[in-house]
Order: sequence, then C-alpha cells, then structure tokens
Amino acid sequence: MESVGTEAANMGEREFKSCDRDDVSHLSLDIGGSLIKMVYFSSGSSSPSDDQKDSYLNDGTNTSIGTSNYNGLREKLHFLKFETSKIDECIKFISSKHLRYYGSLNPGGQDNKNLASEDNIIKATGGGAFKFADLFKEKLGIVLDKVDEMSCLVAGANFLLKAVNHEAFTYMDGRKDYVQINHKDLYPYLLVNVGSGVSMIKVDGDNEFERVSGTSVGGGTFWGLGRLLTKCQSFDELLELSRQGNNRVIDMLVGDIYGGTDYSKIGLTSTTIASSFGRAISANKELDDYRPEDVARSLLRMISNNIGQIAYLNALRFGLKRIIFGGFFIRGHAYTMDTISVAVDFWSKGEAKALFLRHEGFLGALGAFMNYEKNGFTDITHQFMEQSCEIAQDLVCKDEDL
Amino acid sequence: MANLREREDHRELNIGIGGDLNIDNLADDKSKLNFDTGKDRGSTVLGKEEQLRDKDMGPKAGSSIHRSLSRPQLDLSGAAIQGNFEEKDPAILLPNQSDDISHLALDIGGSLIKLVYFSRHENQPVNDRRRKIIKARLGITNFNRRSFPILGGRLHFVKFETAKINECLDFIYSKQLHRGGMDSRSWQTEGPNTESTVIKATGGGAYKFADLFKDKLGISIEKEDEMNCLVSGANYLLKAIRHEAFTHMEGRKEFVQLDSNDLYPYLLVNIGSGVSIIKVDGEGVFERVSGTNVGGGTYWGLGKLLTKCKSFDELLELSQRGDNRTIDMLVGDIYGGMDYSKIGLSASTIASSFGKAISENKEIDDYRPEDISLSLLRMISYNIGQASVVAKLIDIVISYLNALRFGLKRIFFGGFFIRGHAYTMDTISFAVHFWSKGQAQAMFLRHEGFLGALGAFLSYEKHGLDDLLVHQFVERFPMGAPYIGGNVHGPPLGDLNEKISWMEKFVLKGTEITAPVPMLSPGTTGLGGFEVPSSRGDSLRPDASKLNVGVLHLIPSLEVFPLLADPKTYEPNTIDLSDHGELEYWFKVLSEHMPDLVDKAVASEGGTDDAKRRGDAFARAFSAHLARLMEEPSAYGKLGLAHLLELREECLREFHFHDAYRSIKQRENEASLAVLQDLLMELDSMDEESRLLTLIEGVLAANIFDWGSRACVDLYHKGTIIEIYRMSRDKMQRPWRVDDFDIFKERMFGSAEKKPHKYKRALLFVDNSGADIVLGMLPLARELLRRGTEVVLVGNSLPALNDVTAMELPEIVAEAAKHCDILRAAAEAGGLLVDAMINVQDSPRESSLSVPLMVVENGCGSPCIDLRQVSSELAAAAKDADLIVLEGMGRALHTNYNATFKCDALKVAMVKNQRLAAKLINGNIYDSVCRFEAATSPSPSLSFS
Repeated sequence: MESVGTEAANMGEREFKSCDRDDVSHLSLDIGGSLIKMVYFSSGSSSPSDDQKDSYLNDGTNTSIGTSNYNGLREKLHFLKFETSKIDECIKFISSKHLRYYGSLNPGGQDNKNLASEDNIIKATGGGAFKFADLFKEKLGIVLDKVDEMSCLVAGANFLLKAVNHEAFTYMDGRKDYVQINHKDLYPYLLVNVGSGVSMIKVDGDNEFERVSGTSVGGGTFWGLGRLLTKCQSFDELLELSRQGNNRVIDMLVGDIYGGTDYSKIGLTSTTIASSFGRAISANKELDDYRPEDVARSLLRMISNNIGQIAYLNALRFGLKRIIFGGFFIRGHAYTMDTISVAVDFWSKGEAKALFLRHEGFLGALGAFMNYEKNGFTDITHQFMEQSCEIAQDLVCKDEDL
Repeated sequence: MANLREREDHRELNIGIGGDLNIDNLADDKSKLNFDTGKDRGSTVLGKEEQLRDKDMGPKAGSSIHRSLSRPQLDLSGAAIQGNFEEKDPAILLPNQSDDISHLALDIGGSLIKLVYFSRHENQPVNDRRRKIIKARLGITNFNRRSFPILGGRLHFVKFETAKINECLDFIYSKQLHRGGMDSRSWQTEGPNTESTVIKATGGGAYKFADLFKDKLGISIEKEDEMNCLVSGANYLLKAIRHEAFTHMEGRKEFVQLDSNDLYPYLLVNIGSGVSIIKVDGEGVFERVSGTNVGGGTYWGLGKLLTKCKSFDELLELSQRGDNRTIDMLVGDIYGGMDYSKIGLSASTIASSFGKAISENKEIDDYRPEDISLSLLRMISYNIGQASVVAKLIDIVISYLNALRFGLKRIFFGGFFIRGHAYTMDTISFAVHFWSKGQAQAMFLRHEGFLGALGAFLSYEKHGLDDLLVHQFVERFPMGAPYIGGNVHGPPLGDLNEKISWMEKFVLKGTEITAPVPMLSPGTTGLGGFEVPSSRGDSLRPDASKLNVGVLHLIPSLEVFPLLADPKTYEPNTIDLSDHGELEYWFKVLSEHMPDLVDKAVASEGGTDDAKRRGDAFARAFSAHLARLMEEPSAYGKLGLAHLLELREECLREFHFHDAYRSIKQRENEASLAVLQDLLMELDSMDEESRLLTLIEGVLAANIFDWGSRACVDLYHKGTIIEIYRMSRDKMQRPWRVDDFDIFKERMFGSAEKKPHKYKRALLFVDNSGADIVLGMLPLARELLRRGTEVVLVGNSLPALNDVTAMELPEIVAEAAKHCDILRAAAEAGGLLVDAMINVQDSPRESSLSVPLMVVENGCGSPCIDLRQVSSELAAAAKDADLIVLEGMGRALHTNYNATFKCDALKVAMVKNQRLAAKLINGNIYDSVCRFEAATSPSPSLSFS
C-alpha cells in the first residue's frame, strides 16, 4: 500500500510523488475563479524525482496525492492546484508531462475505443474551461471537453463519500471525528462547495441533484477583502494571520450594545456577534490602527458564519440531514471549520452537524475525472474505488494531529 | 485551537442598530383630569339643547358616557379639520378639549435618534350653526357609532444624528415634550412641572444616554423591548397608513395597498447594525426566526476601513457612483463572458464578492472607493435578501409540515441601513426575487426608520391610537419637506413669520442650496440637524429617491363613505400620475396657474405688503413641493392629482390664505342669485321632461364657471355670468360626449316597461360658487325636492379655489329661498332657515310639509374628493341616500369618475381641459359628461318599491 495524501495541515509540505511521464493519463481539470485543480492518473514504477515540477508547485499551490496499487503497478491519482492567475504554470506543467494520451487509456489499459479521437481531449470543468479553452488549444493543442461544473462537484463528492470510508469528518472545538457513512443511506444530502463563491447543491442520487442556493460571499471574498485589508500576499498567509487574531476588537458583540448583558429573550449571549465589523463604526480608528490578525479573524468569522448559516437554513428547508462542505476555501483550516460547525450547530440548535471532506478542494476535478467513465473507461475508477477503500483504513491513524 | 469561549461568540445574531429607545411622556394626572372634564362638558352633563348650542359633533360626546375614566380621552365635540400649519394652526380642532396631551417616544440608535411625538393644540372655537342643525336633522346624536378612543391630533416624526444628541435634547425642551407636551404658551402660566417624567426606552442607546436625559431634562428612561417595538411599530404602520409599503424594482417604486385583515403572518427584516428576521403572526405575536451579523454595521464598519469615509451617508453616496465589476468576480469573469445558464446564472451575476481583488496585483489604494462601497453594498444587501428568502422558504416547509394552509405573505424590510437608498432597495429586491424564483417580493416601508420609535410610542397604554383606522389618518407634508428630501431633519418650522423668513432666506441663498439652513438660534430647536447643504447641479441628488415622512394627522371623525360599492378597491384618482408625461403636464398647469392664484390670494388679504410677502412665500413653497415631486414622484407616498391639488390648498393655508377666492365667490354668488328668479320662471314654464333636460344642461353650463381652469379664467373676461351661462347652455348639443341622460330620465319618469322611480334622498356634491351652485345645482336640487326627494348639498369643509363650502351654502340657500317657495319650505324643513330652528328641535320631520333640504360638509379642503375619508356627517347623511350626484371636474372626473356606488350615481361635468378631455373621454375641451350608473348591487338599505 502506498502512503496516503497528506493531511490538511501538512498540505503545504508538498509531499508530491511525481510520476513517470510516460504513464500519465486521464488528466482532468477544474478551472475555477481563483484556483485550478488538477487530477490525473499515473501508473508505472518510476520514483519521484522531478525537480522541474517543483517550481510550479512552489507557488502557492498545494498538492495531495491519493495513490492506489493496482495490478502490480503503482497507480496513483494525483491532486494538484495552481492559481488561476498563473495559468501559464499549469500549462507548462501539463506540457512537461507530455501527456500523450490525455483523456485516453494509458498503455496498461484494456479498453481501446476511439483512441485517435480522444488523443487531444481532456475533461475540464469550472468557468475557466470555457474561458481558457482557446488558450489550451493554442498552447497545448488540447481540446477541453467541458463538463458541467455542478455535475462534477456532485460526482466527485459522491465518489469520495462512497469510495473512501473516512473521507468525511466533523470538526468541533478542535476535534476531528471521522464519520462512517453508509453508502445506502447517503442520499439526500446538501453539498456546499465553497470556492470563490459558494454553491449549495441538494444531492438526491448518483446523478440527481439541484443547485438550490449559493452565495457570492465565499473564498474569493475572504481572500479579496482580506488582501485589501491586510496586504497579505497569499490566501494561506491570510488564513495563518486569522489564527492569531481576536475578532472582538472589530466585531460588535451583543454585549457591546446591551451594556455587557445578554439579550436572552431572543437567545443571544453577550459574546454573540451582533454586527461583523460593527465596531469599526464608532472607533476613531483607521485601517492601519487595527492588527491585520484581528481583521483577518473577523473576516473569516463573518464569511464562515454566513456560509454555515445559509447552508443550514437550506438543509432545513429541504429536510436534509447531512451538510457536507467542500471547496478550497476551507483548506482544512481549523478555525474555518470550527466557525462553520458552530454556525450550523447554533442555527440547528444542535440538530445538524457540518461535515467536511478530506479532498474538499478536488470535488470538481475528480468529478471531471469520473466523467471519463461515462465514455467507457469504467475500470479505472471502479478499481480505484475498491483500492481506495482499503487505503482509507489507514487514514484514521494518520490524521490525529489535525 | 478554538476553545469554548470562542465558540460562544460566533453565534450570530443581530440586532437592529443600536437599539431603540423610546421616550414618552405620560399624560400626567392633571391632563387626565382635564380630559375627563372636557368629556363631561361635551355631553354627559348637558341636555340636548345645550348640546346643540355646543360647538359640534354631538355623537361622540354622547358615546363618551360609556368610556372608562381610567383612559384619558379627548373631547372631540367640535372637532373640525383645519389646515396643515405646523404649530399654531392645528389640523384638527378640538375646541372642547381643554388641555394638550402629548406623548414623546425616542429611539436612540447608533447613528440616528428617531423621535415620535404626538401633539394636539387648542384652537379657536368653531361656532357653526349649520353643524348643529345637521346633527339634529340627521339624527347624528342618536347615531350608533362605535366609540372612539378619542384622540385627535398629529403624530410627528423627527430624526437627529446621535452624535448631535444635544440638538435632540434642545428640541424636546423647546417643545416642552418632557413635561407632557404643553405648548410654550400654556406651560409658562401653569408653572413648571418638576415631577420626573418616565420615558420608556429600548435598545442600547437607552443605557448609554440615560444619565444625560436625567441630567438635562429630568427624564427617567424606562426600557422597552426592542423587538416588541419594531413589530408593533411595523404592525401599526401597515394598518394605519394606506400606502406605507412599496416595492422597489429597477429604480421604480410601486405602492402596495394592503388589506389590514390579510396582513399576518409576515416576515419583518430589520436591518440595523446586524439583521433580525422576525416572523410576525399578529399583534404582539412574533418570533425572531433568523438573523445575520452581516448588516448595516458591517457595511459601515468595513466601508470605513476600506474607504476612509467619514459617515454612513457619505459611504452610501459613494456607492452611487461605483462600478462593482472592478472588484467583484462575476460569472462572466469565470466563464469567459458567458452565462452559466444551466443553473440560471447570467454573466453579470456576482460569483464572488471582492473576488477580483484576489488575482490582481493591486493594493487597496488602487481601487476607487466608489467601487469598493458599491461592491460592499451589493454583497451585504444581497446576503440579507437571501437570508430573508430562505427564512420564508423554511416557513413554507414548516407550515406545510404542520399542515398550516397559510405561509408568510410578505417580506418587509426596515431599519436604518436602507435609508430609502435606491440601490440598496433594488439589490435586496433583486435578491429576493432571484432566490424565491419570483415567488416573493421585497417590500419597503416609508417610515422604515421609525418602526422602533413608533413602537415605543405605542407601548404607552393610554395613547388610544390602536382603535384608529386607516381612513382616520391624513399625512401632510410641512413646508420644509421639499428641501430635506429624506434626510435627517429637525422639527418643522413654527409660526408663520418663521416660515416666511425661512422661504425668503432660502431664495436669497440661491438655487444651489437644497437643504435648509437653521433659522432659529441654536439651542432652541433641533433644526441644526439638517444635513450639510449639497449642490444641486444637474446630477441627481443621492437622497433624491428618499421618501419624505410627513406629519400624520389623526382625525377620528373621518369615515369611509358608506355608499362606495367596494371600498377596498376604490381608487379616487382617475389619472395615474406615475406616468411621467402626465405628471409633467399637471406640474406645468399648476405652475402656470400660480401667478393668477397668488394675485387672488394677495388680493383676498387686502393686498398689503404683508400679504404680498406671504404670497411670494407661498409661491416658493408650493413650487418647491412641485420640484421635489418632479424629482421623486413618490416622495410623499403614492401621488395622485387629488393630492397635488390638495397640497396647493394646504400651502395656501400654511401662509394664512384661508380663502383666496372669498371676494370673487361673494361677487359671483350675488350676481347669480340676482338672475336666479328669471331662470326659475323659465324652468317652471316647461313640461317635466324638457325641464329635466334643461336642468342638466344648466348644471353643465354653469359648471363652466371654474377658477381652477385656466381656459375658463380667460373666458371670464369676455362676458357677464348670465351671458356666459345662457350662451353655454344654448350650445349644449346632444348627444354629449358621454350622454346617459336618457337612462337617467327613464329612471326618473319611467317608460313603457318601467315605473317611475322616486328617490328618497339625494346627495349633491357641489363644486363651484356662483353660477355653478346657484344656477346649476340649486335648480336641480329644487326639482328633486319638488319630486319628494330629500336633498343633501355636500360642500367642502375648507375653501379650495372658488369651490363653495358647507359654511357658505346655508346663506346661499337662504338667499335663493327668498325667490322660491319650494326652496324655502325645504330649507325650513332642513333647518337651514332661522325660522325653522325651533321646529327642528321639537320634531324635525313632522313640522314641515316639505322634504328637507340639508347641507353637510364633506370633510376635505380640496377641489377633489377622496371618498375613503369623508366627514362623519356626510357618512351619516349617506345612510338613507339612494342617489348621488357628483358635479364638476374635481369630484366627478379627476376623482371618482370610475368609482362605483351602492346606489344610483350621476356624474355631471363640463371638461375644461383639453388633455383630460382627450384622455378620459376621447373628446375635446368643453365637451360634456353626463354619466349615469345604476346601483351596482341593490343595497338592502335601499327600498325601491
């Protein structure tokens, strides 16, 4: 068995297991507003060694790798991220891989239909699949086969929830608990994908879903506003700042309004946030008078809280018992998850729990990858599913330090 | 790692902005005593004869016997509607109420202090014989009315900036609101009342400023629950104000008429610093179902950090010029300009608020503050709209689960964040529309900022406002309204002289000033609360879309005209002024008519320098109102022509022109009366049927005399009254443009198939003085009387143009009766002639052989009439009426042309306006309208056989 994807906290360490270029196949992309997520499949026995690749991955992208051992070969599913603004690096990366076969079967595969026509096609989703289609065509001669974003998110999530035993977990008060979900009792659930914006999707079955809600206040807002307010250079830096902040400096709490007392009549304690950034109103302070840490913290709270609330309310509206959060905003960040969890807990009066996914950021890319299956390449995913079930067993003990 | 403490504070919530604080003065014991005294004086003690001699409205006095003494009540006997002067000239006259009641309520928020107070004023007694007679005649004293919690007066809505709380304190002090509201004249004589007044308060400001109020005014603050206040304030407004709620889509306001019986449950979203989403199920029954901490405080707080704006309004104003696309990531940005139509997202939908700030190498200073403000505003408004819809949708689910048939009907948004800001409202509306897939509509409230203060006001047990109904409120806009838009403002100006000098200074300042400059010395009023004057220029003022909040006049004596077929759907105005072309036209008409009107008004006051000064001030004030309405037609609520015309009359009264056409009316009455005898002889020589035709022709012909019509004013200079009258009548070529005369005739005289119909009582809504009443309507009245129909002449309560008033009618009738036995007998029977007084009191009906001719006032002082708000005596007179005759353009065309009634109605007018003629009847100026409509559904109260 191969070792498993890094846990969230270690993502930045780039435990990237490179793969032999010859064996790379089935690459899929999710090109979002801020990030490009890439999933590809490799097989072969080459050892990781590629210095050249590292330079791309250094730039604010995180990687995680799921691997699987199949038919005696080391077969791996790779998960990579690039910033959308640095799409050239992504293109260079693909180019460097010499993905001969792109969406087609790798040499070890069995099924050989339509090889020729599949040669230069890769599955892609996200808005960028449309926006950058010409770029890919021009630079790589690749045709992006656009797959609907929501379908991909759902397919990716369904796959992970079914294939990986300990994909989902709750996070409360710093404690992470994996949740075993019975495959037969998976549906319906609410999938909340927190990317630049937020989509809320009611999932009723393998390919049955509806986007029931969403909000423009998402990861892009956190990062965009945060950048303006703190001059951070990266999303992760901003997240890190928020860890050290105290939101009470800037948020107006119930106690601030009610002279330190609760407004218990409507169930609000004095420490409840009455108005995010509300204190910035009255104080004679400028932006520079606030610690960036505190600003980042308030911002994170505001956005996480809001997402948690809207998600829960939508779950309530449709009577959904599970709310699963994915998307790159979360990044396994403890405080983010905690805030979302608390919002769900608060609004549901303890009835509902927020669930998070280990592969949170790759739902769309994975879903696009799964889409090859529809074209007849069923085995890989099926086999991968089987394999990954075993892998998952090992995950439990490796994530304790989260 | 997060710990428990942290966990606690992320709970959301919201709270309306700083919280509400209401202050109010309970009427002290002394004033209670006075109420009781007044009440006794009104009726219980006095015998019937004394009652008649007493000023007025006996019925209310009669009912007061049953009132509980524990409730302060006003003596409404003698109540009369008056002009809209701010201070010394009350709208409602309660001559028998000996003392003022005032209540004050405050809502002290983080940025604004909202103040609601009630005032009532002493007033000169109205000694009107006609009213006593009509009461006796119509038996109003025995009329079984519901007993009002009697309270008439005015409700004022005033805002101050919290930062300038001293202005608020000064204002309260200058109005003596902390003493129970005695005005400055009376409190001095009675000596200061040093008893501590208790004022209820709600929200955070109550704590913060409690000591200040205690120190400065000796007021003790008592806290009222914030949510309670919001809800009761909203409930009240939605029930009491006809066009309180409106939708706002793509910059367009539409007022919504709500059925107060079909209001609950609804969702109230109060956007303060945070947001509360409250489900309201009824009076005092509500639950805070949701909320969010992303609210007005977030907008302002984040906005302040990002843009360095100094005030909330500055930030809002910035957003006005912003372009959010520079910062927000749109669906099109992600999809390369394409829509994501599969899930209903267009390219311009915001995918991620502030999402573009990610990818560009820009610092905060590289963005325009305007764009930042707009992005922020959209983000927050949109989020609130969404949260509200979700709450509504959840309610639908819960209702469904609980087998409740009715879910939330509407979503209302209030709170300081909105501030009548068009873009905010549009964004919220859009979000609600979008997320509900068009199933829900956001509604906003004209008094949005005053929910809490009003709720606090209502929390006083003894305000008596609960029982007032929508038709008993009249909202009027003080002179300063046009200049302040919806901005923060202090009190209306006080006496006439202040008003005039204010107007004059305004003019001196030139047109660049749009906000008034305080005229009174600082420290005496709250006038300093005005916004900084802003430049007008060509650009739209950012506050242009804001709505004005007027003074709410509470007039318990008003009633809905009982003969309206369907009061719920009744709309008085025929022409829709929301059509901008129509609006422009009428503004032009009114502006052009202004110099002539000013001349008349000044002449009516003797042409003195003082009168000229007032005339100029009037012209400026009314012009300013017109300009304001051109800028924002909805500024004063739903605008109809009737309102516009009434506004003009109110402005005249505001500058003490009580009857600009007095001398003209007198002259024309005399001239017409002089020729009446000839006319009556001519009529009497005809057979019945041709006489009826001649009478209707006469009404139409005489209706040409109208000072409200520019065309007719020109005509006036070309001949004498009787010449014009005869010429005009002779030119009546049937068929008229609208000609139901034959139907009316058949109704009167019968035909082969139908029996003649004898009307029991006819209400004649008369129009102008002079020929119109004397040569037109009186002869028609006489004919009806001759046929055994009781006739009630319905005249204006207050002068408007040259319209004949109820006060003037008895004299005209008396004069006419000198030439006509029929009129004399009927007038005697109706108590209009002095000789008949004794008979009236003894046994009104049996004492005379004739059916009576009576006069009632209609309750308004406008050339038009809104039949939802008429005087109680007209309502009483309508009880037995089975024929209504509406005469003249104002009452039969501009308003009520499409009104349907429970009894037969005849609408007769000559169209003296080309545009109206073209629009309404597809005809020309001087075309005639004679529209007859049989009762829409036979009313049980009418006995036809």
